[in-house]
Amino acid sequence: MFLTRDEESVLAGEKGEGLRTAMELLVALGDIYDAKELVPISSAHLSGVSYKTIGEGGIEFLERLSKDAKVCVPTTLNPAGMDRQKWKEMGISPRFADRQLHIIDQYERLGVNTDCSCTPYLGTNIPQKGQTLAWAESNALSFANSVIGARTNREGGPGALAAAIVGKTPRYGLHLDENRAPSIIVSVELDKVDYSLLGQAVGSAVGGRVPYFRGIRPTVDQLKTLAAAMAAAGSVALFHVEGVTPEAGIHDLKGMDRLVIGKREVEAARNKFETGKDPDLIALGCPHLSVEEIRDLASRLRGKRRKGDAEVWFCTSRCTAAKCPRELDVLSKFGHVVCDTCMVVTPIEERFKTTATNSGKACNYLPTLCSQKVVYRTTDGLVEMIT
Amino acid sequence: MILKGRGISKGKGEGEVVMNASATSFLGGVEPSTGRLTDPALGGRSVKGRVFAFPQGRGSTVGSYVLLEMKRQGTLPAALINALAEPIVATGAVMSGVPLVDHIDLSLLRDGDTAVVDGTRGTVELPNVKECHVVSCIVRDGDKVLLLKRSAEVGTFQGYWAAVSGFVEVGESPQRTAVKELSEETGLDLPIAKEGRMVTVRDRDTIWHIHPFLFEAKAPSVCIDWEHTEFCWVTPQEVKDYQTVPGLAELLHDLL
Repeated sequence: MFLTRDEESVLAGEKGEGLRTAMELLVALGDIYDAKELVPISSAHLSGVSYKTIGEGGIEFLERLSKDAKVCVPTTLNPAGMDRQKWKEMGISPRFADRQLHIIDQYERLGVNTDCSCTPYLGTNIPQKGQTLAWAESNALSFANSVIGARTNREGGPGALAAAIVGKTPRYGLHLDENRAPSIIVSVELDKVDYSLLGQAVGSAVGGRVPYFRGIRPTVDQLKTLAAAMAAAGSVALFHVEGVTPEAGIHDLKGMDRLVIGKREVEAARNKFETGKDPDLIALGCPHLSVEEIRDLASRLRGKRRKGDAEVWFCTSRCTAAKCPRELDVLSKFGHVVCDTCMVVTPIEERFKTTATNSGKACNYLPTLCSQKVVYRTTDGLVEMIT
Repeated sequence: MILKGRGISKGKGEGEVVMNASATSFLGGVEPSTGRLTDPALGGRSVKGRVFAFPQGRGSTVGSYVLLEMKRQGTLPAALINALAEPIVATGAVMSGVPLVDHIDLSLLRDGDTAVVDGTRGTVELPNVKECHVVSCIVRDGDKVLLLKRSAEVGTFQGYWAAVSGFVEVGESPQRTAVKELSEETGLDLPIAKEGRMVTVRDRDTIWHIHPFLFEAKAPSVCIDWEHTEFCWVTPQEVKDYQTVPGLAELLHDLL
């Protein structure tokens, strides 16, 4: 990879150890992917926040970096391992809480916005079409690429942090026009579309290809659900929806592979998700609930009575929560409004065995990361379980 | 012997080589408290302070943090060698300061070798392994090629079947060696018909760079010297029925 004289001096350690480590990471990644150069970024979004994932080793690394480095572009943070205020109610141990808060402190010292959320594009970090980004968090980067038309690769947490510190990322993959064209046409033949199940069916069929959807008209919240499910079931980092997403109309589709998704494929996805019954946790908000989703839930729950003993979580960002306090009053009669975290990154396995969710993404990760059996329901289905 | 690869993570590390023949995930694959490999097929060996060689990383991105945890616990490998580096292990290597070199042909390494890995220059040095350049001359007559059985007098591979071969001496071109050896060992004076791609193979403590050459002849009269005890003409398919020097079948396949 070609480096400018300035970049060479950063790599030589002339601007400090933190910057040197960050540059070393970018050069290693650039070499692996045969990038020709570094390109400036407009923003970064980081994963690698929960104590459950990064552990003490991760903490030492952040401490080392935050000694003399700072991010130089707007940078946001993924969910942490607990709600910063309600961790006791969540059954988090004081030791875990202490280490988790220490991690968030390190990111703050690095200059990162610590509204911990997987949906920065809904509030704290809104990209514009055509911008170059370095985003980790698979649903967020897919949303930024597909729905907004910004450009980011599927970054890991450390790579995104290095890019935030240097302000640049290696130019390869989805930063290049030729890799943003669709590679498979997906025709959806369904009367009513469940976007979690659609995402599961398509993600597991297309892997890392770029799907081009026909036959759906998703809302923003449905695009969020679809992006999350496809990224978890496959490794889709970019998709196009005919008549909906900004880069959908610009490519030649002649001779492209086709995939048809009908009832059979969706039922297969549902069967794959469903591994349990009688949930002891019912969790909504993967990805984090938007203002619109919170309003919709509040209108369904208002005036109803709470049913059942399963614990209920509504997961969202602190930034979103601040925008709808009255609706959250309604929700909090039915369960905990949980901020900064979600059911996937907090250690729920210490308290729960079976989780019910409406999220295709959560259905993929709950069995492996949280040892959960899973009950899959639509939002309607989950509301029925608690009213 | 110095193998040239690509430096991915800087720095220099030295130690005994531990090989894993399949793609490796640090998450679940290595115990951070001891550096032990968890796969029972690898005999619970530790990579701590050693040079850990495997084709490629795999698995969850959380794997990068396992290397950081190994750094904290003092169980890091001295260096890493990959056939092809991928981002998870590369990220972990850079963050934890472990040298990593890739683009290395792992078939040239052996478990237990001593290796000096230089991630800054992109090299892997094997101080106890020597390297030799040799020529291998295939004589073809129609659909058959000439095989010769090496005598007890020669320095290596006594009793093995081989092509006409010989060491490339310092200051000599492989082409010149080939024509000379052919004449000495068979009495045939022929021009080179084709030059093949160099093949590199490991045998015990030597890495052989074999320069293949093809010669064409019509019913030649072969006259062997002290280096061989007998010869025969066989089709390329029949070569596998003979106990041959390493790399000969591959070399023939490439050249013909």
